[in-house]
Amino acid sequence: MAGNFWQSSHHQQWILDKQDLFRDRQHDLAKLTEEEYQKVFNFFASIIQVLGEQLKLRQQVIATATVYFKRFYARNSLKCIDPLLLAPTCVFLASKVEEFGVISNSRLITTCQTVIKNKFSYAYGQQEFPYRTNHILECEFYLLENLDCCLIVYQPYRPLLLFVQDIHTQVQDDQILTYAWRIVNDSLRTDVSLLYPPYQIAISALHIACVMLGKENLKPWFAELNVDMDKIQEIVRTIINLYEMWKSYDEKKEIQGLLGKIPKPCPAPQR
Amino acid sequence: MEEPTLRYEKIDFLGEGQFATVYKARDVKTDKIVAVKKIKIGSRMEARDGINRTALREIKLLQELQHINLIGLLDVFGQKSNVSLVFDFMDTDLEIIVKDSNIVLTPGNVKAYTIMTLKGLEYLHQNWILHRDLKPNNLLINREGILKIGDFGLAKAFGSPTRINTHQVVTRWYRSPELLFGARQYGTGVDMWAVGCILAELLLRVPFLPGETDLDQLSRIFQVFGTPTEEIWPGMKSLTDYVQYKQFPAQELRHIFSAASDDLIQLLESLLSLYPPRRCDCTQALQMPYFSNKPAPSAGAKLPMPTFLFKMESEKPSLKRKLMDNIDGGSLAKKLLQF
Repeated sequence: MAGNFWQSSHHQQWILDKQDLFRDRQHDLAKLTEEEYQKVFNFFASIIQVLGEQLKLRQQVIATATVYFKRFYARNSLKCIDPLLLAPTCVFLASKVEEFGVISNSRLITTCQTVIKNKFSYAYGQQEFPYRTNHILECEFYLLENLDCCLIVYQPYRPLLLFVQDIHTQVQDDQILTYAWRIVNDSLRTDVSLLYPPYQIAISALHIACVMLGKENLKPWFAELNVDMDKIQEIVRTIINLYEMWKSYDEKKEIQGLLGKIPKPCPAPQR
Repeated sequence: MEEPTLRYEKIDFLGEGQFATVYKARDVKTDKIVAVKKIKIGSRMEARDGINRTALREIKLLQELQHINLIGLLDVFGQKSNVSLVFDFMDTDLEIIVKDSNIVLTPGNVKAYTIMTLKGLEYLHQNWILHRDLKPNNLLINREGILKIGDFGLAKAFGSPTRINTHQVVTRWYRSPELLFGARQYGTGVDMWAVGCILAELLLRVPFLPGETDLDQLSRIFQVFGTPTEEIWPGMKSLTDYVQYKQFPAQELRHIFSAASDDLIQLLESLLSLYPPRRCDCTQALQMPYFSNKPAPSAGAKLPMPTFLFKMESEKPSLKRKLMDNIDGGSLAKKLLQF
C-alpha cells in the first residue's frame, strides 16, 4: 500500500526506542552476548532470504517477512517460539499480505526441508526440518497477534528509487543504485528496520554506497538534504559494524554452537 | 493473553454470509456494544491456507485507516484456527433505510448520506485504496446518524501501472461499464460509479440499474445514458469483453429523477459518466454546487432510523440481518425483505 507513512502503524507503533529494545532483550542477552544475538538473527535472516528466493518471491516480500521476524522477537524471547518455525511462518504471512498469490503450505514445507538440508546443513547437520503445516498455521496466529495486527511494512526500496531518480538529474550513475540496493538488503540483518524510518535507511545506504564508490561529486546532493544527519550516521555505523563483524566471522564454524545456546522452550517441539 | 471469548459477551446473532458469521456482543472491558465477525474456516483445502485472505485484507487495511466515515476495526482475536474481527457496532445500513417504506428521505437526508460516503471514500482514495464493493448494504449507519463504509474484503491498493486486477468485483448493479467490459486496469472511477448508483437509489427508493446478467447490466446502462461511441469513450472497443450494443439514445436524467434539483442532476451526471476519466473524483464531487447549495445536509441526530430497530428492543431480538457479509452481499437480506 502506498498510503501515508506518517499515519501508518509502522510509524506510530513500530519505530522502537533503542533503550526499550535493549531492555526487552535482557532475558535472551543473559544467555547470549549482544554480538552472538546479532549473529543468530543474521543466520535466520539468511534462512528467510534463501527460502524467499527458492519460492521465487519478490525482495519486497522477503524484506517484509524479515521485519515481521524481528518485530516478533523485539517483544518476545527466543524461547517463546523456535525461530526455525517462526521464519517460514513470517514468509507465509508476508506473501499473503503483499498479495503475492498463493504459496501452498505443502510447497512451503517441502522448500523448508530442502533448504535446511541442502543449504544449512552446516547448522543443523543431519537433523531434518521438524515442523509441519499445522505448526505453521498455529504459529501464524501468534505472529499476527504479536504484530498487533500491523501488517503493512514500509521498506526502504521505494524511497531509495526516488532518491536515485533525483540524483540522476544531477549525476548519471547506475552503480549507485545497485550498491545501495544491496546495502538495504544487508540492513535487514541489523536492528535498523526496528529503529529508523525507511527513508533514513535508504539515505544511509546511499551514503555508504557513495563512500564505497568514491563518489565525491555527490557531496552537494547530501548537503542539500533536509534530514537528521545524526540519525543517518547512527544507521551508517550500525551497517558498517555488521560488515566489520562479517570480516572475522565464520558462520559455518560458529553457528551450531550459537544455536545450542539459544534459550529453548520446554517442552521441546514435538516431531 | 487475555481470554478473548470472555471479553466479548455474545448478545445476538446478526447474520451470516459466505465467509463469516456476525454477532452483536458486549465488550466486557469497555462495556461497549460491538460487532464480532467470525470468519468461517471453509473447506479443508482453505483451512490449509491459514488465516483467511479476505480477513487478512480487512485487518491490514483497517489497521492503517482511521476516519469517522470508515468502519473501525477494534480488535482481532483467534481461537483454535478461527479468526474473529471486532468492529464498531452499527445499527443499520443504507439498504434497510432505502427499503423501509415508513422512512421519508428528505433532500437534506440524501445530501447527508452522500457527503459522508464521499468523505470516507475520499480518504480511502487518498490512501491509494479502492473499495471495489460499494453498495447500500455496505454503507453502515449507527443511531447517531453516522455513516461508515464497511466490508473491506475486496479492497485493494491501486495505482501500480503494471498491476493486473480482476474485473470480477463490485456487486453487479453497482458495477461500472469498464468493469463490465472486462477492464483489468482501472482506478477510482469504479467506486465513483457505484456512488452514483447509490445516490440514484436514494432518490428512486429502488435499485437504479438492477441488471439480471452482466450483458443486461450494460444494456440497462446504455438505455439510460445512450450507447457510447468511440468518440465518447476512446479505447472502449479494445477492452477484453467488449461487445457491440444496439444504439440507444441518451435520456435526460431530469426526466428519470423528476424531483431532483439541477445541482443534484449535475452531480449524478458527473458520477455516472460512461468514459471513466470523465467521472469526477471524491474531492471534485464534494466541491460541486450541490453540496454548498440549500438545503443543508441533515444533522446526524435528525437522520431517520428504521422503526423495527426500536420495536426490537422491547421484544425478544431476532434481527436476522447480516451486518457485513462478503461478496454474496445482501442476498439473505433481500429474501427477508421481499414480500
